[in-house]
Amino acid sequence: MTFSTVLPAPVPAAGTSAPAPVRAGASATGTHLALADDLLGLLRTTTTEPRPDEQLEALTLAVAADLPVLLWGEPGIGKTAALTQLATSLDLPLTTVIASVHEPSDFSGLPIVGDDPAVRGVPMAPPQWAVELVRAGRGLLFLDELSTATPAVQAALLRVVLERRVGALQLPPGVRIVAAANPRASAADGWELSPPLANRFVHLHWVHDREVVVRGLGGVWPRAELPRLVPERLPEAVAFARRAVCGFLEARPTLIHRLPSTETRRGGAWPSPRSWEAALTLLAFGTAASVSREVLALLVRGAVGDGPGLELLAHLDRMDLPDPESLLADPAAAELPVRGDLRQAALEAVVAAVGARPERERWEAGWAVLVRALETGAPDLLVAPATALAALRRDDWEVPEAMERLVGVIGLARRADRSVGRITAGREQGVRR
Amino acid sequence: MEKLLAARLHAVKVRPYLAAALFALHVVEDRSVPTMAVDAHWRVYVSPGFVARTPVEELAGVWVHEVSHLLRDHHGRGERYAREHEEHGSGERLRRNIAADFEINDDIYGDGLPLPVGAVLPSLLRLPDGLLMEEYLRTASMTGLTADLAWLDCGSGADGQQRPWELGPDGAHGLSRQQRDAVRFRVAEGIKGRPGETPDGWRRWADEAFHPPQPWRQLLGAAVRSAAGAPGVGENHSYRRPSRRSAGVPGVLLPSLRRTPPRVCVVIDTSGSVSDAELGSALLEVAAISRAVGGRRDLVSVISCDAAAGVAVPLCRAESIALIGGGGTDLRSGFARALRSRHRPDVIVALTDGQTPWPSAQPPCRTVVGLFPRPAHAVNERNPDYTPEAPPPWAHVVTIG
Repeated sequence: MTFSTVLPAPVPAAGTSAPAPVRAGASATGTHLALADDLLGLLRTTTTEPRPDEQLEALTLAVAADLPVLLWGEPGIGKTAALTQLATSLDLPLTTVIASVHEPSDFSGLPIVGDDPAVRGVPMAPPQWAVELVRAGRGLLFLDELSTATPAVQAALLRVVLERRVGALQLPPGVRIVAAANPRASAADGWELSPPLANRFVHLHWVHDREVVVRGLGGVWPRAELPRLVPERLPEAVAFARRAVCGFLEARPTLIHRLPSTETRRGGAWPSPRSWEAALTLLAFGTAASVSREVLALLVRGAVGDGPGLELLAHLDRMDLPDPESLLADPAAAELPVRGDLRQAALEAVVAAVGARPERERWEAGWAVLVRALETGAPDLLVAPATALAALRRDDWEVPEAMERLVGVIGLARRADRSVGRITAGREQGVRR
Repeated sequence: MEKLLAARLHAVKVRPYLAAALFALHVVEDRSVPTMAVDAHWRVYVSPGFVARTPVEELAGVWVHEVSHLLRDHHGRGERYAREHEEHGSGERLRRNIAADFEINDDIYGDGLPLPVGAVLPSLLRLPDGLLMEEYLRTASMTGLTADLAWLDCGSGADGQQRPWELGPDGAHGLSRQQRDAVRFRVAEGIKGRPGETPDGWRRWADEAFHPPQPWRQLLGAAVRSAAGAPGVGENHSYRRPSRRSAGVPGVLLPSLRRTPPRVCVVIDTSGSVSDAELGSALLEVAAISRAVGGRRDLVSVISCDAAAGVAVPLCRAESIALIGGGGTDLRSGFARALRSRHRPDVIVALTDGQTPWPSAQPPCRTVVGLFPRPAHAVNERNPDYTPEAPPPWAHVVTIG
């Protein structure tokens, strides 16, 4: 049985190095070994520096949210090192289990005969590492080499990962689970991950950063700042995450459950009610810890897959757009997004809001919003919304003064039309010739 | 500035599916830029002089050209190429820029966008159209071109190398990686949502933007492995040998889990539409894979099948198989023959171009289909209405080639 338990080692304070004491006057026997130990001690003395690291932040957040994480990465890329660092910073003992060298019964329990099997039954005994984890009450369980475990072992692992049961033993809630796997391209003799097992994990692709490796080998490894949950933001974060995910799934019900259909997507994250729940949890944790959108994107895409994850993020972007009704209520103070495509989306929402309840005051307020947009940004974005708004005009409504100020925009649109016209005319001429 | 924006409107009018990406670009005016250039953070740097001397319709083409660099992730791919091949330096930068331009220019112009004067095309080097930037970089030396194209510069968005005028990652109005992905995703979804209106090049990009194709050998290998290794295949409880658990339970005889190597039957479509070279490579691959999952060579058999199925031949030596056939295809007979054989296979691997009817019911074993891609509009001369059915959902389908 292969397992190891590493207790957190004291971390040297940042910026200070604590060189191992050099033994002077060691006895002649064993001098060589002692010297070798000294050299190794010096080599292993490294310091850390604070450095923003998105993938480490994402990993920490998912572990804090008590969701099983699966790290995909080429062999030797530093997944284990990252886990050791994570265990140290979370102050959890690390237990490593290499899944591929185990049998299914090592995870589902080995039968032991008691006094009276007919009456008491045959209990399924857990392996030693599980017993020690339960005794510690908390810890980080690291299932390494998951993709080279046989399908039967993967099936046995389903219960460990989902129900946290090893045989008859229930792992305590303080235990967090992280797994690692090699991508199919580099695992020549690997099995693919079965979709049910893949669905239980948050998938993170682990890549190395050239600078981090070079600096780390020079003796300074990065120390990620752990995201901290802000106590006041917790209820707000939960409300936000629920609103985002529910609103999105109402609009896109087909994305609630979609088994991976193509070979390329097998073994990765895919959307199901289970993984959407994970995404919701991650969204709430990310909001409460105020992590960046980048980290949130890594986590959400890792939970429900790239396509649905990106769509959810686009939905979040739309939720960030200003509310059209409040823009209409006070056009002069309207704060429009700076990015062109978002700005256009906000203006189109305003026009749509006017169209939904066409009243003269609202229509005029719509023009005022467009004028505000003209004053603060590029005019070509206004062509489509202005055309749509003009089409909403009723016969008895007078042209507002604001509309006059958009004449330049119409000129711009004409100019573009003329140039498109020149091309088509030129092409027809070319055909005739 | 007004002229530049009119050009953007022109581009949006003739390429509506790129609107989100075009509007997401942030314009920065800079006199030190030769013409127009983009950086990795979706800023577009524009020389006022260039705008003044270029007609609107040509500027529209430049807009689409520059945004194509960003959508196709040329900076990331360029950087990756430079790292893998250790090619740095200004000459290499130019080479990457030209290769990226080749990839773009051969399919974005026309249909409302005139080809700008001085746009570089693969035909300059007598290269074929439609390749990827990496392929152009590998095949072409481009040394003859560099002298007169030294002015060509699309910025770090095209090759991944910083320019002096660029604002860098911390400057204002840049897009973060997640925002860039979101814009690219929206454009890709838009293109997929309106098939028929967009040119092939863009459709191909949209299909592959977030799911790059994987090498078929690995996919086929994983599919055969998972089919042959799934629980229930060649694996069962047996009383022939007691389980190792029995040692702990004296007096109780527990069955052990025994595994017999899986039998793999390869059904090969030998109709005229599949070439010998395609079949040869795929067959060798299947044989190698089934050996890797513990199948012995004598457990791998081959059935060649056109309209009628041949006899199952054990695969003892790869070169000894005679593939007979040449007419139309009906793989159903091949499946039936495989299931009728004396030892029923655990896995059937069908190698075909898909121009065949499929069995109506799922066979009682796992099925992997290796599909040779064919153009979508294959025509049957005798029956013009005939469209081949897609492989059934119970099969693992791997596209080969």
